[in-house]
Amino acid sequence: MSAASVDAPLDPPPRPKSSLLAPSDRTRRRRAAERRFRACGVAAISVGVLFLAVLAAAIIRSGAPAFTRTVVDVTITLSREQFERAEGQLLKTAAYEAVLIGALQEMLEEREERAPFDAASLRRILGKTGGSLREFFRANEDRIGRPVEFTLPASSRVDGYMNGRVSRDSLTDSRFLKAADLDLVDALAGAGIIHSEFNWPFITGADSGVDNPGGAGIGAAVVGSFFMMLVVLALSLPIGVAASIYLEEFAPRNWFTDLIEVNISNLAAVPSIVFGILGLAVFIQFFHLPQSAPLVGGLVLTLMTLPTIIISTRASLKAVPPSIRDAALALGASKTQAVFHHVLPLAMPGILTGTIIGLAQALGETAPLLLIGMVGFVARGYPDGFVAGFTDPNSAMPAQIYTWASRADPGFYEKAWGGIIVLLIFLLSMNIVAIVLRRVFERRW
Amino acid sequence: MPTIWLILIVLAVAAAGYAAGRGRALRGVGGEGRSLHSTPAYHGANVAMKSAGPALLLLAVWLAAQPVYVNGIVSAMIPDSAVRDGTSLELTLAEVRRTARGLDLAVEKGLMDEEFARDAGVDPADMTARLRDSGAVVTSAVTAPVLEAARKFRALDAAGGRFMAAAVVAAAVLGALWGIGQARKGFRARNVVERGIEAALIAAASIAILTTLGIVLSLLFNTVEFFGLYPAHEFFFGTSWAPSFSGRGGSSELGVPPLLWGTLYISLVALLVAVPIGLFSAIYLSEYAGSGVRSVAKPMLEVLAGIPTIVYGLFALLTVGPLLVDVFGEGGLLGVSWQGGGRSVMTAGLVMGVMLIPFVSSLSDDIIRAVPRAMRDGSYGLGATRSETIKRVVLPAALPGIVGAVLLAASRAIGETMIVVLGAGAAARLSLNPFEAMTTVTAKIVSQLTGDSDFASPEALVAFALGMTLFVITLALNVFALYIVRNYREQYE
Amino acid sequence: MPEPDVEAGEVKISARDVQVFYGDNHAIKDVTVDIPDKAVTAFIGPSGCGKSTFLRCLNRMNDTIDSARVEGDILIDGENIYDRGIDPVQLRAKVGMVFQKPNPFPKSVYENVAYGPRIHGLAANKAELDEIVEKSLRGGAIWDEVKDRLDAPGTGLSGGQQQRLCIARAIATEPEVLLMDEPCSALDPIATAQVEDLIERLRGNYSVVIVTHSMQQAARVSQRTAFFHLGDLVEYGATDDIFVNPGDERTEKYISGRIG
Repeated sequence: MSAASVDAPLDPPPRPKSSLLAPSDRTRRRRAAERRFRACGVAAISVGVLFLAVLAAAIIRSGAPAFTRTVVDVTITLSREQFERAEGQLLKTAAYEAVLIGALQEMLEEREERAPFDAASLRRILGKTGGSLREFFRANEDRIGRPVEFTLPASSRVDGYMNGRVSRDSLTDSRFLKAADLDLVDALAGAGIIHSEFNWPFITGADSGVDNPGGAGIGAAVVGSFFMMLVVLALSLPIGVAASIYLEEFAPRNWFTDLIEVNISNLAAVPSIVFGILGLAVFIQFFHLPQSAPLVGGLVLTLMTLPTIIISTRASLKAVPPSIRDAALALGASKTQAVFHHVLPLAMPGILTGTIIGLAQALGETAPLLLIGMVGFVARGYPDGFVAGFTDPNSAMPAQIYTWASRADPGFYEKAWGGIIVLLIFLLSMNIVAIVLRRVFERRW
Repeated sequence: MPTIWLILIVLAVAAAGYAAGRGRALRGVGGEGRSLHSTPAYHGANVAMKSAGPALLLLAVWLAAQPVYVNGIVSAMIPDSAVRDGTSLELTLAEVRRTARGLDLAVEKGLMDEEFARDAGVDPADMTARLRDSGAVVTSAVTAPVLEAARKFRALDAAGGRFMAAAVVAAAVLGALWGIGQARKGFRARNVVERGIEAALIAAASIAILTTLGIVLSLLFNTVEFFGLYPAHEFFFGTSWAPSFSGRGGSSELGVPPLLWGTLYISLVALLVAVPIGLFSAIYLSEYAGSGVRSVAKPMLEVLAGIPTIVYGLFALLTVGPLLVDVFGEGGLLGVSWQGGGRSVMTAGLVMGVMLIPFVSSLSDDIIRAVPRAMRDGSYGLGATRSETIKRVVLPAALPGIVGAVLLAASRAIGETMIVVLGAGAAARLSLNPFEAMTTVTAKIVSQLTGDSDFASPEALVAFALGMTLFVITLALNVFALYIVRNYREQYE
Repeated sequence: MPEPDVEAGEVKISARDVQVFYGDNHAIKDVTVDIPDKAVTAFIGPSGCGKSTFLRCLNRMNDTIDSARVEGDILIDGENIYDRGIDPVQLRAKVGMVFQKPNPFPKSVYENVAYGPRIHGLAANKAELDEIVEKSLRGGAIWDEVKDRLDAPGTGLSGGQQQRLCIARAIATEPEVLLMDEPCSALDPIATAQVEDLIERLRGNYSVVIVTHSMQQAARVSQRTAFFHLGDLVEYGATDDIFVNPGDERTEKYISGRIG
């Protein structure tokens, strides 16, 4: 210390005595720059949140109408005499339509509503109903002579009118709907005969033809997705966990392990469409597995999901402290026993959470399914049984949505948005389950 | 015999073997479990492993190999003349398989007996009629060679099935007997079982390698085949993309540059949206936001990441596209007529940018947080404001990591399919106007492989060459980005 | 050892009834202290006693921690630094700080030192900046070691050199007060001696406040010493007095090694 004090004293730095309370110009400018920078950050976050809000609004606004449908409630009493006369005619369905018109007119008059009415306008509003009426009465002859209540779906354009999608001004007369028909619809609505109801057939039904957007349902595609997810779960969970255990607990540091590691991290970033090409070339062209089958879709999605599951499983295994392994080994357990009896059960909640999130990702994936043919008119009905569920041609929710989005009739767009709501409800529930699992079993070491 | 039954039989043999092995081990020491090297359960597990393991493996291999083998034999039987004009051997083979399945169905429904189905002398027209009655999906007239091949197919398939069942059950029983024979006092059953478990673990881990191998081989073989039919230099340097629709014509122009241009242009627009917004979000969340804002805003951004791409695709097609037309289209708000239709580079690029925001922000957030607190303290201690600290200390330190994150985002953008399929358009174009419709590599892979064209034609095979191009580009980006990010992480560990 | 007349030095910092809370934790209780100019003041005490927390109050570094809350008055040259009109950025230019672990930025030696003058706009041109950098590096007693490699990364220096670089970086902004938070705890004895020499030289121009774990170091470098215990300022006075006749039982126990 005495040595140091011998050194020449430092030049005293120039000290302009300034008050801290009076900010200099420069400080003011710097504060302004700070505020601008911060505003950029706020703006960025706001833009992100705004996009989310716009997206959510678009989905809900456009998709909600898919969940309602417009139906006509009508009670028909068909006498035996009418039945036989109709069956005796050449145009049988037209006769039934006439009966229906009669019944509707009667109901309108009862409620003192009046509207021009003919078979052609009825067809434009309700579609070809005669056939289904005839089918019903031929199958249930015992119901003839007694009142039967029918619920008949209205055409998609009437549906649009009731939902406000089609307005009187925007409507141009076409063979699908004429402006005059709207008077009839108004009259029916005034009488409470035509009304909206929850569209169960959309939830439970199968895909329809290109000219019938009203009849399209997502039910069959949900079943297709379900069978695919069964395959993904049954394969990716055991394989993913086994691979993670090997890499995390057993693998020696050598070239083989490195090779696996490199492969996993790269597969996680390979575009999904490439997995579709793999599925097409290997599973369908080489192994001759059936096209459009949920089994193949499941296999492709398994390969795609595995890296995600392996990465999250390894993180869960890593989070189990080494002291647990040491304790088990010190009691004379073998390494395998230590891992399977102690480490794995402790890591299980984390593994399950990761698996559910991986499944949710797989559930929303579309591109690879297009290449293995799960698109187009494949979701025509429910599979015949459990095994057929894996091998019969079917679609999946996102692929069905794509199919609808690429059809020419804009009536399908509404179905596509509605399908998205159904898909998002599934994804949301899966994520909530994952979050709850994490909360309940969260463990801090 | 259905495969499911075979599996159940194997499992039953294994279960019986487990009980037998366990019992024999215990009896061998007079019920004194302590004097065994391994617990009786391990002896049982050893038997079960030796019985079920090889049997199920054999089953899997057989199931995979038999169709390949049968198809090989049957396709050799079909003369070229039997292949209808306008179709291919592959389609004829599918017809053979359908006919064979129809025969099965007809026999099952009692419309013909087994002998009739096998009888080579039956008239094909008669057979067609009976097949149609059974509800099978067959062509209008099953030809004699196809019927012949279908019969052979059935015979081979049935024989294969019988041999497989016998072989698999035999493997299970022999394995069980071997295991039971080993269940003696000194046998180290636990070590054997554990080695078996480890082998299974290694096999599971190797699937990652097999997947990569599968991808590379399926791309490579088909790409080589494509270049056999179509000159490589025209693929790489041809400036026009115009596949013929017949699927058979030699008049297709299949140049990749217009597709690559569309891909890169859309990705560029996407990155111009995602990088500033994502980066500033990450900066705000990690440096400014209080825990309250953070706990709300971060999950909201993450929701954007969890939304399936088909949703973004539909959003682009039905919401953003029409909106852009309303603004930039004819008679739009700006009074310019830059944008003709809803599908354009802008439409796809903007929406893809939104999709990538959370990707960029969460990666950057991790990277910014990895910069040690001491760095920030040093800067604050010198009187720097937060923004000065971020701009001059944190970001330069985090730069390599952020570059890596942007590269990963770029690779995502290049490989994204659904948004461009629905939002970008179908016309391949070399144009600078971002309001014009263009198409991408991924969109063309989908359209070439979902059409009706024959898989052996250059119009379908080009999809594999496109896939190869895509795979190589994204792989290079990923490897480079991961390398940068890893080096960056190690710097602060 | 020549003992400067510290009582005669004017008061630079004066703290009145300072309380600090971290969330619900009352970390500093009722601390009142006057810190003189042109002298070294040491804060000593066992771990967790609040000495570092109090030090960080003096340039409002606690602002960067969300849960921290400061009550009471701290005056520098008679101005309350917790006044609403005070910009912490301007304050920190006047009150420099050196941290426990050397934390040079991942930039060159030159850029590390030039950082402060640049953000505060102290140099009009490159020549002036060069001059400030050289003067600061000389002031940090590290010029001779780095003058040939000003472009080399600061993180490549040895621990002791890094810490002296950080001191040079701190004095480049022409502060009036230098806060040092255990500046030698990560250094070996030789580097420690070099830094202590430097502190001794800095005393002529700055009010230096140093937090230290080592009582020997406090005795070697400081003129005044404050002893903290569990958030209380137990005793404050001339260093010699504190070490020779501690007035409080706790101080005596700490100095003799029975609490710590």
